[in-house]
Parts: sequence; structure tokens; C-alpha cells
Amino acid sequence: MARHQCDVLIVGGGISAALLAERLAELKPGLAITVVEAGRKHFDFENRMEYRRRMLEYGENPWPGDFVKDQAAAGIISRSMAVGGSALHWGGVTNRFSEEDLTLFSRYGLAVDWPIAWSELERFYCEAERRMGVSGEPSPIPDDRRSEPYPMPAMPLTHNLIQLKAWAEKSGIPFGSTPQAKNTVEYDGRAVCKRCNTCEICPTGARYSPDFTFQRLLEQKKITLQDRTLVRRLALHDTNTKVVRAEAVHGERPSDPITYEARSFVLASGYCWSPSLLLLSANARFPDGLANRSGNVGRYMNGHSFLSAQIEIDAEIYPGMNEQHSLISRQFFRSPKDKPYVRHDLRVWQSPFGRGPRLFDDAGALLLGDALLGDWRGRVKRGAARVRAYYDVHPSRESRLTLDPSQKNRHGDPLPRVAHRFDDATLAREPATRGRIRGVFERLAQNGAGKILQSAESDYLDHPAGGCRMGGDPATSVCDSFGRTHDHENLFVVGSPTLPTGGCTNGTLTFAALTLRSAPAVAASLG
Amino acid sequence: MLRRTLVRLFGAGGLGALLPAPRAAAAPVDPLLALATAVLPASLGGARIESVVAAFRNWLRGYRPGADQGHGYGHVRLASAPPTPAEGHAAQLAALDTAAKSLGSASFAALPATQQKTLIADALRAAKVDRLPERPDGRHVAADLLAFFFRSSEANDLAYRAEIGRESCRGLPGSEARPAALRADALRVGQTAAPRVHSGS
Repeated sequence: MARHQCDVLIVGGGISAALLAERLAELKPGLAITVVEAGRKHFDFENRMEYRRRMLEYGENPWPGDFVKDQAAAGIISRSMAVGGSALHWGGVTNRFSEEDLTLFSRYGLAVDWPIAWSELERFYCEAERRMGVSGEPSPIPDDRRSEPYPMPAMPLTHNLIQLKAWAEKSGIPFGSTPQAKNTVEYDGRAVCKRCNTCEICPTGARYSPDFTFQRLLEQKKITLQDRTLVRRLALHDTNTKVVRAEAVHGERPSDPITYEARSFVLASGYCWSPSLLLLSANARFPDGLANRSGNVGRYMNGHSFLSAQIEIDAEIYPGMNEQHSLISRQFFRSPKDKPYVRHDLRVWQSPFGRGPRLFDDAGALLLGDALLGDWRGRVKRGAARVRAYYDVHPSRESRLTLDPSQKNRHGDPLPRVAHRFDDATLAREPATRGRIRGVFERLAQNGAGKILQSAESDYLDHPAGGCRMGGDPATSVCDSFGRTHDHENLFVVGSPTLPTGGCTNGTLTFAALTLRSAPAVAASLG
Repeated sequence: MLRRTLVRLFGAGGLGALLPAPRAAAAPVDPLLALATAVLPASLGGARIESVVAAFRNWLRGYRPGADQGHGYGHVRLASAPPTPAEGHAAQLAALDTAAKSLGSASFAALPATQQKTLIADALRAAKVDRLPERPDGRHVAADLLAFFFRSSEANDLAYRAEIGRESCRGLPGSEARPAALRADALRVGQTAAPRVHSGS
């Protein structure tokens, strides 16, 4: 059995782990930090242009093998399991939540307040933006004020987005360039965006990716990184509630267990695998899992629902200019108290919807050659916009991650199952919420002789979070606002699992900011 | 090299139809080129159609059955690339030729365009092709060739008559400008060994 010792063991190798490791190394130089990741690393930056080419031409995974075949869970929305985590495929969107997200109960009597003041979280938003390198422009909404400017100027609007902004703002709703972790100037040793149109694999390094941070930390010998290593259990000290070791196994040497001994342990494995590991670590003293005296591990799983529409408009749109860049309006992040509660973001993209080449015309006649091209040309005279709103939904206690004994990995460990459930208030207002958002879409469509071509609604929650929610009361939460579990003084959970509610916009920046806020507490736990 | 690779990929028997005819032969028509001439825009011109065919063959040569195709987002599933779409192409081309001969023509290539279209429509119907595939999938060589060309960034430029360069790395300067009007000679499919070459690499 291999035995490793370190000061801090970070379980998981995604964006939270990268930022935490970087910050810990700054706070306590010389700290022995070990990062363990179940998936493999993809440090061959020199091959990314080729991976991108294969993706475009053949539909191949641009991050080949970024999953562990038998480490799956029901109800998850990404199988990505690799050094870099889900952020390998990330589009780079770095929207902030708003103060309302942290004060839902005190403002609206809904869900629960977060145990953090907005002004404090905002400082860590700034830090996360600096570390990742975010380009953005100030929001026109006064309540979105920032204490620091964005580190980089906003991504310029393409011709398409300029047209779409003019169209969308006719409705009286202000829009701006969506903030993104993409370089608009050289930043942190990485290149300027070259508008390759494939942000899921940025071949130039202009989009932040956690693997850059890991590689730098490795070069500086500030961390040890062990990939393809699955942590299966956490074990406690015999007489107190401290975690003393993590029991793991390497993907290629499953019969040779590995033990990691550390002074502090941090779970940075996301909303699924962090609570799952706590449940798997049940023992005689914690029969329901570690950190689970309250019974809240794996509960209050959250995220946001969404509605979207494709709208045909009178605008000169050329699909393909920078398809992943969008407009955002934060107009609806705040719900007036004298109106029914609805909160949502609003994004607008260029769209090729209904404007692709087709093989048969409306009468079913086969189109070939110049007839096909002519038909295509005839259908691109009007433009199209894709609009989408993420909206606020709140989890019930029964919104759960559980271990499914009927599904096991090759080591015999039961695999998790995630099933989201909304609280009563969310269910009650759902029809009105959707009606209000569809009304906004219709309001947009009225501009420029618009016509809604297609509407869609989510059947999963995006940017999932929760499962180890933070709070001040150990009876109703798993960890405090710094991610320290109430039951184990040297065990922390960081990032997405700690969110009590999932907000109404992309969560990555919030996961990162919360993690950075946890870093000093983790450092302090080491004395 | 190309001929040797394709023979290795598809086996020698019955697949010669996919390969360009040897130059020294008594000018038999390349059946894939004949099909391309029937299904691709004549406005491209003969040389460009030939280069699209060459690029399509190149694409087939680069295809990797079983390659990791990722796991999706939202509704996850592991996927890998199915067998090469080229598997049935030779037989499909031969079937078009046979059908042409049953109409009294010497070959598919020798048929009038309207009759070629009828045969292609019949073949696509039989292959249950009811829309343009996202990329070649092997159901029928005609649909695969059409998908290869019309799903390309270059065809997108052609449709919009603009130099959008969907798959190029173009840099941020000039983002705000309307894409330049497409030059007459701007079509790039098949003009290089590998189709869809990206600048900025």
C-alpha cells in the first residue's frame, strides 16, 4: 500500500481545486499541498489545435478520455472528470449573482439566506476575476455596482451582436457584453482571444482553464498532483472527529490501495462527487456519512431552470462570427417586492436556427447542387436570435443526491443518483414565472417584425450545486460559510456543493469566489 | 498513397469505385466525381468540384472508427465514432451505375441530370435519408458528399456571400465589421490536402 503525507489534501482537480491550491500556496509558502483527481490530465497544449480540428471535422471529443468510464452518476449533466474538471469544456462565462441571491429569505420570505454578506462576497468576486482573467464592461444597472473594474476590457461585440443589441434594446431592456474569462489583451502569460469560435476547446489559451494554474503550480513545485486516482473513503481518528486519511486507488492499479494522510482535507469535487464521498465514508460513529449529523449531506441539490426561444428578426446576421459570445441583461435579477416573485437573467446570441442547408424543400422535393444553395441563400435573408433566461428555482430538502446500491463502480462502491425537487413556493409560482419570461421573449420578438420560431424549456437544472449547503446552524447545514464542516474541524467542502440556492445565472464565478473565501480558513486550520 | 490507404481501410474487393481512376486507364469516369458533379453546385466549376471530392476522400481517410465522441452536456451519454461511413459507398455508387444502365445509359455519369436526380432521390429514400446529415454517416454516399460540402464553413460563406470564416481563428480586431463580401475565388474546400484549414494555428 502506498502512503502519502501532506499538509492539505485537496480531493478533486477542477476550477475550485486549482484556485484553492494557488491561494493556499500564497498564504502559506512551503505548505505541502496534494491534489488528487480521479480523471486524467490533459497538459498537451500543443495538440489543442489538432483536437479542435478533429472536433470540428469528425465530432470527436476535444478532451479525449476526459471521463472515468465506470464512475458515472444518474442525474448529472456532465461526465467530465479530469484535471480541469467541467471547466475544460467551459464557455468561460463569468456572471456574478446579485445581492438578492444571498438574502432570499429576509427580502422575500423564500428559501434561505446565505451566511455571507454581499459586500464580502463581492471582494472575492473581484479576486476570482483577477485570477482567472475576466473581460467585461460595467453593467448599466446601478445595483450591479462593483468595487473594482474588470481586469480586462470587454470582449468586443461582433457585427452580429451589434445588430442584436440594437434590436433587443428597442424593447427598453438594456444589454451588454457578457463577461467572460477570455483575454481581450495578453493576460497572465496567456494570449489574446483569436475568435476561434470553439471555446469548449480554446486552442490559443485565451480562455482561462484550471489546467494552466495546475501546470504553473507544478512547475513552481508548489503542489503535488496525482491524477487517475479515485478517493473512495475518508477515515476518522479513532478517538476524535478529525479526518486523518483518505483511502484511494489508482485507475490502473486497482488492487494497490493508496493512503493519503493530511492535517486538513478539502473536498473540491463538485456538487456530485463531494457529497457522494461524504456518504461513502459512513462509519460506526457517523452511520449516515461524514459531516452528516444534521442529515443534510446530499440534500437541497439546486441549480437553475431555463426557458429559451429562437426568434426570427429583420437583421443582417452572419452566423459564425463568434457564436459563443452573447449579450446579457441583468434587468430582471431583482424582483420588485410589490409584484409576484420572478428573477432571471436574459441572454441573446446570434443563431443559425432555420437557416441551415436542407435537402428537401417545403414541398418535399429533393434539392441538389445550385438548387440547394439557392434555397439556402433564400432563407438567410432574415436573421435569427437565440434568447435564453435562467430563472431562480429553490430546492426542497428532498432535492437529493443519494447512493444507489444497484449501481456500483468497479471497486464495488455505490454510485450517486441526483434527483432535483423544488420547494412548495417554487412549484406554486412556476406557471407565473414561465408566463412572465415568455412575455419578455414576446416583447423582444415584437421588435424588428420578429417572430418566435421555437420555444423550449429545461428538463434539467443547469450549473448544478448544493448537497453540502453552508449555514450558521449545524442543524440545518453541512458547513459554515467558509466550507468547514460542522462535524469535523479539519474537513472542508468548497465551491458548488456549498451553495444553498443556485441563483439565476451561470455559477462558475460564484463557485470560484466562495472557494477563494475559504482559502484563509483552510490555511488557518493548519495552525 | 491515397489509393493504398483506402484499399487498406475498405478492403480491395469492390471498392475500387471509390478510388480515382488511374491516369493511364482509358479514361473511365470516376464514379464519385460523377456523383459530385450531379449533387454539388455546378456554379462551383469543375475544378472546384474535383477538389471537394479530393477533400472528401481525405476526410474519409482521416476518419477514426471508435474515436471518443464525448459525453454530451445536459443529458449525458458516452459516444464513440461508428464504423467508417465509407463502408457502403462503393456499393452505393455501383448501385447508381446499375440503375443507370437499366435505363439504357452507359453509366450514371452518362445520364441526363434530371434522371440522375431521380436515381439519387430513389436511393436516398431507400436509405431513409430524410434530411441533410450533420456530417457524413454512411447511409448514402450522396448524402455524405452533400453533408461534407454544405456543412462546411466555406459553404456557409457561400450561402451568405460573405467571408465569415466560421472555423477560422480570426482575432478580435474587425469583429464589429460586417464580414467582407465573398471573393469569387474564396472557396477553399478541397484546395488543400486537409479541408477546413484554420488560420492562426
